[in-house]
Amino acid sequence: MSGPFQLTPLAETRPGMVLSDVVRDGKGNVLLAQGVVLTESMLASLGRHGIDVLPIVQAVPAAAPIDPVAVRARLDHVFRKHDRDDLGDWATGILRRYVEDYRLEREVAA
Amino acid sequence: MNRLTPEQLAAGVQDLPSLPAVVMELLSSIEQEDIDISVLAKKVSYDQALTAKTLRLANSSSYGLQVKVTTIQQAITFLGFQTTRNLITAAAITGCFPSGQCAGFHDKSFWRHSIATAACARALARRMRFNQDIAFTAGLLHDIGRLVLVTGHPDAYDQVVAWHAEHGGDWQDAERAVLGIDHVDAGVALADHWNFSSTMRQVIAYHHTPDTHGAGFLAAIVHVANAIVHALDLAGEDDELVPRVSSVAWDAMGLNEEAYLHLFRETELQFGEMSTILMT
Repeated sequence: MSGPFQLTPLAETRPGMVLSDVVRDGKGNVLLAQGVVLTESMLASLGRHGIDVLPIVQAVPAAAPIDPVAVRARLDHVFRKHDRDDLGDWATGILRRYVEDYRLEREVAA
Repeated sequence: MNRLTPEQLAAGVQDLPSLPAVVMELLSSIEQEDIDISVLAKKVSYDQALTAKTLRLANSSSYGLQVKVTTIQQAITFLGFQTTRNLITAAAITGCFPSGQCAGFHDKSFWRHSIATAACARALARRMRFNQDIAFTAGLLHDIGRLVLVTGHPDAYDQVVAWHAEHGGDWQDAERAVLGIDHVDAGVALADHWNFSSTMRQVIAYHHTPDTHGAGFLAAIVHVANAIVHALDLAGEDDELVPRVSSVAWDAMGLNEEAYLHLFRETELQFGEMSTILMT
Protein backbone atom coordinates (compact mmCIF):
# COMPACT_ATOMS: atom_id res chain seq x y z
CA MET A 1 0.00 0.00 0.00
CA SER A 2 1.38 3.35 -0.87
CA GLY A 3 -0.22 6.73 -1.17
CA PRO A 4 -3.89 7.55 -1.01
CA PHE A 5 -6.36 5.17 -2.56
CA GLN A 6 -10.09 4.98 -2.92
CA LEU A 7 -12.30 1.92 -2.72
CA THR A 8 -14.19 2.24 -5.98
CA PRO A 9 -17.24 0.21 -7.04
CA LEU A 10 -16.47 -1.92 -10.08
CA ALA A 11 -19.16 -0.13 -12.09
CA GLU A 12 -17.27 3.15 -11.65
CA THR A 13 -13.81 1.86 -12.50
CA ARG A 14 -12.38 2.59 -15.95
CA PRO A 15 -9.51 1.15 -17.98
CA GLY A 16 -6.31 3.01 -17.14
CA MET A 17 -6.96 3.19 -13.40
CA VAL A 18 -4.23 1.69 -11.19
CA LEU A 19 -4.71 -0.85 -8.39
CA SER A 20 -3.27 0.29 -5.07
CA ASP A 21 -3.30 -3.22 -3.65
CA VAL A 22 -3.55 -6.86 -4.71
CA VAL A 23 -7.03 -8.08 -5.56
CA ARG A 24 -8.01 -11.52 -4.30
CA ASP A 25 -11.06 -13.65 -4.92
CA GLY A 26 -13.26 -15.04 -2.16
CA LYS A 27 -10.79 -17.90 -1.59
CA GLY A 28 -7.83 -15.62 -1.16
CA ASN A 29 -6.26 -16.34 -4.56
CA VAL A 30 -4.51 -13.35 -6.07
CA LEU A 31 -6.33 -12.21 -9.21
CA LEU A 32 -4.33 -9.08 -9.95
CA ALA A 33 -1.17 -7.63 -8.43
CA GLN A 34 -0.70 -4.26 -6.84
CA GLY A 35 0.14 -1.51 -9.34
CA VAL A 36 -1.61 -3.17 -12.28
CA VAL A 37 -3.08 -0.78 -14.83
CA LEU A 38 -6.64 -1.98 -15.42
CA THR A 39 -7.86 -2.89 -18.88
CA GLU A 40 -11.34 -3.47 -20.26
CA SER A 41 -10.89 -7.25 -20.23
CA MET A 42 -9.55 -7.29 -16.66
CA LEU A 43 -12.61 -5.37 -15.47
CA ALA A 44 -14.92 -7.84 -17.19
CA SER A 45 -13.02 -10.74 -15.68
CA LEU A 46 -13.13 -9.26 -12.18
CA GLY A 47 -16.89 -8.95 -12.52
CA ARG A 48 -17.09 -12.67 -13.32
CA HIS A 49 -15.07 -13.39 -10.18
CA GLY A 50 -17.64 -11.60 -8.07
CA ILE A 51 -15.40 -8.61 -7.24
CA ASP A 52 -17.55 -5.54 -6.72
CA VAL A 53 -15.13 -3.01 -5.30
CA LEU A 54 -11.49 -2.20 -6.14
CA PRO A 55 -8.76 -0.25 -4.35
CA ILE A 56 -7.81 2.41 -6.88
CA VAL A 57 -4.82 4.72 -6.59
CA GLN A 58 -6.03 8.26 -6.20
CA ALA A 59 -4.92 10.35 -9.10
CA VAL A 60 -2.77 13.07 -7.65
CA PRO A 61 -4.67 16.12 -8.84
CA ALA A 62 -2.66 18.24 -11.19
CA ALA A 63 -1.57 21.02 -8.88
CA ALA A 64 -3.83 23.94 -9.62
CA PRO A 65 -1.85 27.15 -9.69
CA ILE A 66 -2.12 28.89 -6.34
CA ASP A 67 -3.69 32.31 -6.48
CA PRO A 68 -2.28 34.24 -3.50
CA VAL A 69 -4.90 36.96 -3.77
CA ALA A 70 -7.77 34.47 -3.61
CA VAL A 71 -6.10 32.55 -0.76
CA ARG A 72 -5.69 35.73 1.29
CA ALA A 73 -9.21 36.90 0.54
CA ARG A 74 -10.66 33.60 1.74
CA LEU A 75 -8.49 33.66 4.88
CA ASP A 76 -9.62 37.24 5.55
CA HIS A 77 -13.19 35.98 5.41
CA VAL A 78 -12.62 32.89 7.55
CA PHE A 79 -10.63 34.90 10.12
CA ARG A 80 -13.06 37.85 10.02
CA LYS A 81 -13.52 37.81 13.79
CA HIS A 82 -9.80 38.16 14.40
CA ASP A 83 -8.56 41.68 15.05
CA ARG A 84 -4.89 42.02 14.06
CA ASP A 85 -4.46 44.93 16.45
CA ASP A 86 -5.73 42.99 19.45
CA LEU A 87 -2.45 41.92 21.02
CA GLY A 88 -4.26 39.66 23.47
CA ASP A 89 -5.41 37.58 20.50
CA TRP A 90 -1.96 36.59 19.24
CA ALA A 91 -2.65 32.85 19.05
CA THR A 92 -5.36 33.34 16.41
CA GLY A 93 -2.93 35.58 14.51
CA ILE A 94 -0.22 32.92 14.51
CA LEU A 95 -2.67 30.27 13.32
CA ARG A 96 -3.67 32.52 10.44
CA ARG A 97 -0.02 33.13 9.47
CA TYR A 98 0.77 29.39 9.55
CA VAL A 99 -2.29 28.48 7.47
CA GLU A 100 -1.39 31.19 4.96
CA ASP A 101 2.17 29.84 4.71
CA TYR A 102 0.73 26.36 4.27
CA ARG A 103 -1.73 27.38 1.55
CA LEU A 104 0.89 29.42 -0.32
CA GLU A 105 3.45 26.62 0.12
CA ARG A 106 6.03 28.96 1.55
CA GLU A 107 9.35 27.54 2.63
CA VAL A 108 9.54 27.52 6.40
CA ALA A 109 12.76 27.51 8.39
CA ALA A 110 12.94 24.54 10.73
CA MET B 1 -38.75 33.44 21.28
CA ASN B 2 -38.08 29.77 21.66
CA ARG B 3 -36.40 29.55 25.02
CA LEU B 4 -35.60 26.03 26.09
CA THR B 5 -35.86 25.19 29.75
CA PRO B 6 -33.54 22.60 31.27
CA GLU B 7 -36.58 20.30 31.46
CA GLN B 8 -37.26 20.64 27.74
CA LEU B 9 -33.60 20.03 27.02
CA ALA B 10 -33.65 16.89 29.15
CA ALA B 11 -36.83 15.68 27.43
CA GLY B 12 -35.22 16.24 24.02
CA VAL B 13 -32.22 14.20 25.08
CA GLN B 14 -34.47 11.34 26.24
CA ASP B 15 -36.09 11.19 22.82
CA LEU B 16 -32.80 10.84 20.97
CA PRO B 17 -32.08 7.69 19.03
CA SER B 18 -30.11 5.32 21.18
CA LEU B 19 -26.78 3.86 20.25
CA PRO B 20 -26.30 0.12 19.96
CA ALA B 21 -25.91 -1.22 23.50
CA VAL B 22 -22.38 -2.34 22.83
CA VAL B 23 -21.36 1.18 21.83
CA MET B 24 -22.89 2.65 24.97
CA GLU B 25 -20.81 0.15 26.88
CA LEU B 26 -17.68 1.25 25.04
CA LEU B 27 -18.29 4.94 25.62
CA SER B 28 -18.86 4.63 29.32
CA SER B 29 -15.75 2.52 29.78
CA ILE B 30 -13.38 4.43 27.52
CA GLU B 31 -10.59 4.62 30.09
CA GLN B 32 -11.09 1.13 31.39
CA GLU B 33 -8.55 -1.47 30.31
CA ASP B 34 -10.00 -4.62 31.85
CA ILE B 35 -12.84 -5.38 29.49
CA ASP B 36 -13.48 -8.85 28.16
CA ILE B 37 -12.39 -8.35 24.58
CA SER B 38 -13.73 -11.57 23.11
CA VAL B 39 -17.22 -10.86 24.42
CA LEU B 40 -17.06 -7.37 22.99
CA ALA B 41 -15.83 -8.51 19.59
CA LYS B 42 -18.70 -10.97 19.44
CA LYS B 43 -21.31 -8.38 20.39
CA VAL B 44 -20.09 -5.94 17.76
CA SER B 45 -20.00 -8.59 15.06
CA TYR B 46 -23.76 -9.14 15.44
CA ASP B 47 -24.19 -5.68 13.94
CA GLN B 48 -23.10 -6.16 10.35
CA ALA B 49 -23.28 -2.57 9.20
CA LEU B 50 -21.27 -1.44 12.20
CA THR B 51 -18.71 -4.19 11.66
CA ALA B 52 -18.29 -3.36 7.97
CA LYS B 53 -17.74 0.33 8.62
CA THR B 54 -15.32 -0.37 11.47
CA LEU B 55 -13.26 -2.72 9.30
CA ARG B 56 -13.10 -0.20 6.46
CA LEU B 57 -11.74 2.35 8.92
CA ALA B 58 -9.24 -0.13 10.31
CA ASN B 59 -8.05 -0.91 6.77
CA SER B 60 -7.76 2.74 5.76
CA SER B 61 -4.25 4.01 5.19
CA SER B 62 -4.45 6.18 8.35
CA TYR B 63 -3.76 3.07 10.37
CA GLY B 64 -1.06 1.72 8.07
CA LEU B 65 -1.87 -1.97 8.39
CA GLN B 66 0.13 -4.28 6.12
CA VAL B 67 -2.64 -6.89 6.10
CA LYS B 68 -6.31 -6.39 5.56
CA VAL B 69 -8.30 -7.25 8.67
CA THR B 70 -11.59 -9.03 8.08
CA THR B 71 -12.98 -9.48 11.59
CA ILE B 72 -13.29 -7.31 14.69
CA GLN B 73 -11.13 -9.80 16.56
CA GLN B 74 -8.38 -9.38 13.94
CA ALA B 75 -8.63 -5.63 14.13
CA ILE B 76 -8.11 -5.87 17.88
CA THR B 77 -5.11 -8.12 17.36
CA PHE B 78 -3.41 -5.78 14.88
CA LEU B 79 -4.52 -2.34 16.07
CA GLY B 80 -4.99 -2.98 19.75
CA PHE B 81 -8.12 -2.80 21.79
CA GLN B 82 -8.13 0.96 22.42
CA THR B 83 -7.89 1.87 18.75
CA THR B 84 -10.48 -0.65 17.63
CA ARG B 85 -12.84 0.50 20.34
CA ASN B 86 -12.57 4.06 19.07
CA LEU B 87 -13.15 3.03 15.48
CA ILE B 88 -16.30 1.17 16.50
CA THR B 89 -17.50 4.25 18.36
CA ALA B 90 -16.80 6.52 15.41
CA ALA B 91 -18.60 4.17 13.03
CA ALA B 92 -21.64 3.99 15.32
CA ILE B 93 -21.94 7.66 16.23
CA THR B 94 -21.75 8.95 12.68
CA GLY B 95 -24.65 6.72 11.68
CA CYS B 96 -27.02 7.20 14.56
CA PHE B 97 -28.49 10.67 14.12
CA PRO B 98 -31.19 11.27 11.51
CA SER B 99 -30.22 13.86 8.91
CA GLY B 100 -32.27 16.58 7.27
CA GLN B 101 -34.18 17.49 10.45
CA CYS B 102 -33.70 21.18 10.06
CA ALA B 103 -33.37 22.85 6.67
CA GLY B 104 -30.76 25.42 7.67
CA PHE B 105 -28.52 22.95 9.45
CA HIS B 106 -26.04 21.18 7.19
CA ASP B 107 -25.56 17.69 8.56
CA LYS B 108 -22.82 16.95 6.04
CA SER B 109 -20.79 20.00 7.04
CA PHE B 110 -21.30 19.15 10.67
CA TRP B 111 -19.84 15.69 10.22
CA ARG B 112 -17.06 16.93 7.96
CA HIS B 113 -16.05 19.33 10.69
CA SER B 114 -16.31 16.68 13.42
CA ILE B 115 -14.35 14.05 11.49
CA ALA B 116 -11.63 16.57 10.57
CA THR B 117 -11.38 17.68 14.20
CA ALA B 118 -11.08 14.04 15.25
CA ALA B 119 -8.25 13.46 12.75
CA CYS B 120 -6.49 16.67 13.80
CA ALA B 121 -6.87 15.97 17.53
CA ARG B 122 -5.44 12.50 16.99
CA ALA B 123 -2.44 13.89 15.10
CA LEU B 124 -1.90 16.57 17.75
CA ALA B 125 -2.18 14.04 20.57
CA ARG B 126 0.55 11.91 19.02
CA ARG B 127 2.90 14.89 19.06
CA MET B 128 1.90 15.59 22.69
CA ARG B 129 2.39 11.92 23.65
CA PHE B 130 -1.23 11.93 24.76
CA ASN B 131 -3.62 9.02 24.17
CA GLN B 132 -4.44 9.33 20.45
CA ASP B 133 -7.56 7.21 20.53
CA ILE B 134 -9.21 9.20 23.26
CA ALA B 135 -8.29 12.42 21.46
CA PHE B 136 -9.85 11.09 18.25
CA THR B 137 -13.16 10.28 19.92
CA ALA B 138 -13.13 13.57 21.82
CA GLY B 139 -12.62 15.47 18.57
CA LEU B 140 -15.47 13.59 16.96
CA LEU B 141 -17.85 14.28 19.85
CA HIS B 142 -16.91 17.83 20.84
CA ASP B 143 -19.86 19.51 19.12
CA ILE B 144 -22.36 16.67 19.52
CA GLY B 145 -24.62 19.05 21.47
CA ARG B 146 -25.50 20.77 18.20
CA LEU B 147 -27.03 17.51 16.97
CA VAL B 148 -28.93 17.19 20.22
CA LEU B 149 -30.49 20.61 19.66
CA VAL B 150 -31.19 20.04 15.97
CA THR B 151 -32.66 16.57 16.46
CA GLY B 152 -34.63 17.32 19.61
CA HIS B 153 -35.85 20.82 18.71
CA PRO B 154 -35.72 21.26 14.93
CA ASP B 155 -38.22 24.14 14.78
CA ALA B 156 -36.43 26.10 17.46
CA TYR B 157 -33.13 25.45 15.73
CA ASP B 158 -34.55 26.87 12.50
CA GLN B 159 -34.78 30.17 14.35
CA VAL B 160 -31.20 29.81 15.51
CA VAL B 161 -30.18 29.39 11.87
CA ALA B 162 -32.18 32.48 10.92
CA TRP B 163 -30.61 34.52 13.74
CA HIS B 164 -27.16 33.33 12.66
CA ALA B 165 -27.82 34.29 9.04
CA GLU B 166 -28.82 37.77 10.12
CA HIS B 167 -26.20 38.48 12.78
CA GLY B 168 -23.30 36.21 11.78
CA GLY B 169 -20.74 35.34 14.43
CA ASP B 170 -20.44 32.17 16.48
CA TRP B 171 -23.14 29.50 16.59
CA GLN B 172 -22.88 29.61 20.34
CA ASP B 173 -24.02 33.25 20.36
CA ALA B 174 -26.95 32.45 18.07
CA GLU B 175 -28.01 29.50 20.20
CA ARG B 176 -27.82 31.54 23.39
CA ALA B 177 -29.76 34.43 21.88
CA VAL B 178 -32.62 32.29 20.60
CA LEU B 179 -32.74 29.27 22.89
CA GLY B 180 -31.17 30.63 26.05
CA ILE B 181 -28.86 27.62 26.11
CA ASP B 182 -26.14 26.50 23.72
CA HIS B 183 -24.68 23.32 22.25
CA VAL B 184 -22.24 23.02 25.14
CA ASP B 185 -25.16 22.68 27.60
CA ALA B 186 -26.87 20.23 25.28
CA GLY B 187 -23.67 18.23 24.81
CA VAL B 188 -23.14 17.95 28.54
CA ALA B 189 -26.76 16.80 28.96
CA LEU B 190 -26.15 14.12 26.34
CA ALA B 191 -22.86 13.10 27.96
CA ASP B 192 -24.77 12.53 31.20
CA HIS B 193 -27.61 10.72 29.48
CA TRP B 194 -25.34 8.45 27.43
CA ASN B 195 -23.06 7.95 30.39
CA PHE B 196 -19.88 9.24 28.71
CA SER B 197 -16.66 9.00 30.68
CA SER B 198 -15.83 12.12 32.69
CA THR B 199 -12.92 12.91 30.34
CA MET B 200 -15.29 13.13 27.35
CA ARG B 201 -17.73 15.20 29.37
CA GLN B 202 -14.95 17.66 30.26
CA VAL B 203 -13.98 18.09 26.62
CA ILE B 204 -17.56 18.75 25.56
CA ALA B 205 -17.98 21.21 28.42
CA TYR B 206 -14.70 23.12 28.00
CA HIS B 207 -13.58 22.94 24.36
CA HIS B 208 -14.56 26.60 23.91
CA THR B 209 -13.05 27.64 27.24
CA PRO B 210 -9.92 25.55 27.77
CA ASP B 211 -8.48 28.21 30.11
CA THR B 212 -11.04 27.27 32.75
CA HIS B 213 -9.45 25.81 35.84
CA GLY B 214 -9.76 22.03 35.72
CA ALA B 215 -10.69 21.91 32.01
CA GLY B 216 -7.92 19.39 31.35
CA PHE B 217 -5.27 18.99 28.67
CA LEU B 218 -7.56 17.12 26.30
CA ALA B 219 -9.91 20.13 26.17
CA ALA B 220 -6.90 22.23 25.07
CA ILE B 221 -6.00 19.71 22.35
CA VAL B 222 -9.55 19.65 21.01
CA HIS B 223 -9.79 23.45 21.26
CA VAL B 224 -6.71 23.89 19.07
CA ALA B 225 -7.76 21.09 16.69
CA ASN B 226 -11.18 22.72 16.29
CA ALA B 227 -9.62 26.09 15.42
CA ILE B 228 -7.19 24.49 12.94
CA VAL B 229 -10.00 22.68 11.16
CA HIS B 230 -12.02 25.89 10.88
CA ALA B 231 -8.91 27.65 9.56
CA LEU B 232 -8.20 24.89 7.02
CA ASP B 233 -11.76 25.38 5.78
CA LEU B 234 -12.52 21.66 5.64
CA ALA B 235 -16.24 21.60 6.44
CA GLY B 236 -17.20 23.22 3.13
CA GLU B 237 -19.28 26.04 4.65
CA ASP B 238 -19.31 29.40 2.87
CA ASP B 239 -19.60 31.27 6.14
CA GLU B 240 -16.81 29.32 7.84
CA LEU B 241 -15.47 31.24 10.84
CA VAL B 242 -12.35 30.67 12.95
CA PRO B 243 -13.09 31.20 16.63
CA ARG B 244 -10.68 33.06 18.88
CA VAL B 245 -7.83 30.71 19.78
CA SER B 246 -6.97 30.53 23.46
CA SER B 247 -3.34 31.59 23.88
CA VAL B 248 -3.07 29.34 26.93
CA ALA B 249 -4.15 26.29 24.92
CA TRP B 250 -1.91 27.28 21.98
CA ASP B 251 1.06 27.68 24.32
CA ALA B 252 0.36 24.31 25.89
CA MET B 253 0.93 22.60 22.52
CA GLY B 254 4.44 24.06 22.30
CA LEU B 255 4.87 23.25 18.59
CA ASN B 256 6.84 25.26 16.04
CA GLU B 257 5.64 26.29 12.61
CA GLU B 258 7.22 23.36 10.82
CA ALA B 259 5.37 20.95 13.12
CA TYR B 260 2.10 22.74 12.44
CA LEU B 261 2.56 22.58 8.67
CA HIS B 262 3.07 18.81 8.92
CA LEU B 263 0.04 18.61 11.15
CA PHE B 264 -2.10 20.49 8.60
CA ARG B 265 -1.02 18.11 5.84
CA GLU B 266 -1.68 15.03 7.98
CA THR B 267 -5.10 16.34 9.00
CA GLU B 268 -6.16 16.99 5.41
CA LEU B 269 -5.02 13.58 4.17
CA GLN B 270 -6.64 11.60 6.97
CA PHE B 271 -9.78 13.66 6.82
CA GLY B 272 -10.19 12.94 3.12
CA GLU B 273 -10.06 9.23 3.57
CA MET B 274 -12.04 8.99 6.80
CA SER B 275 -14.88 11.19 5.66
CA THR B 276 -15.43 8.96 2.61
CA ILE B 277 -15.72 5.94 4.87
CA LEU B 278 -17.77 7.46 7.67
CA MET B 279 -20.20 9.45 5.57
CA THR B 280 -21.48 6.66 3.33
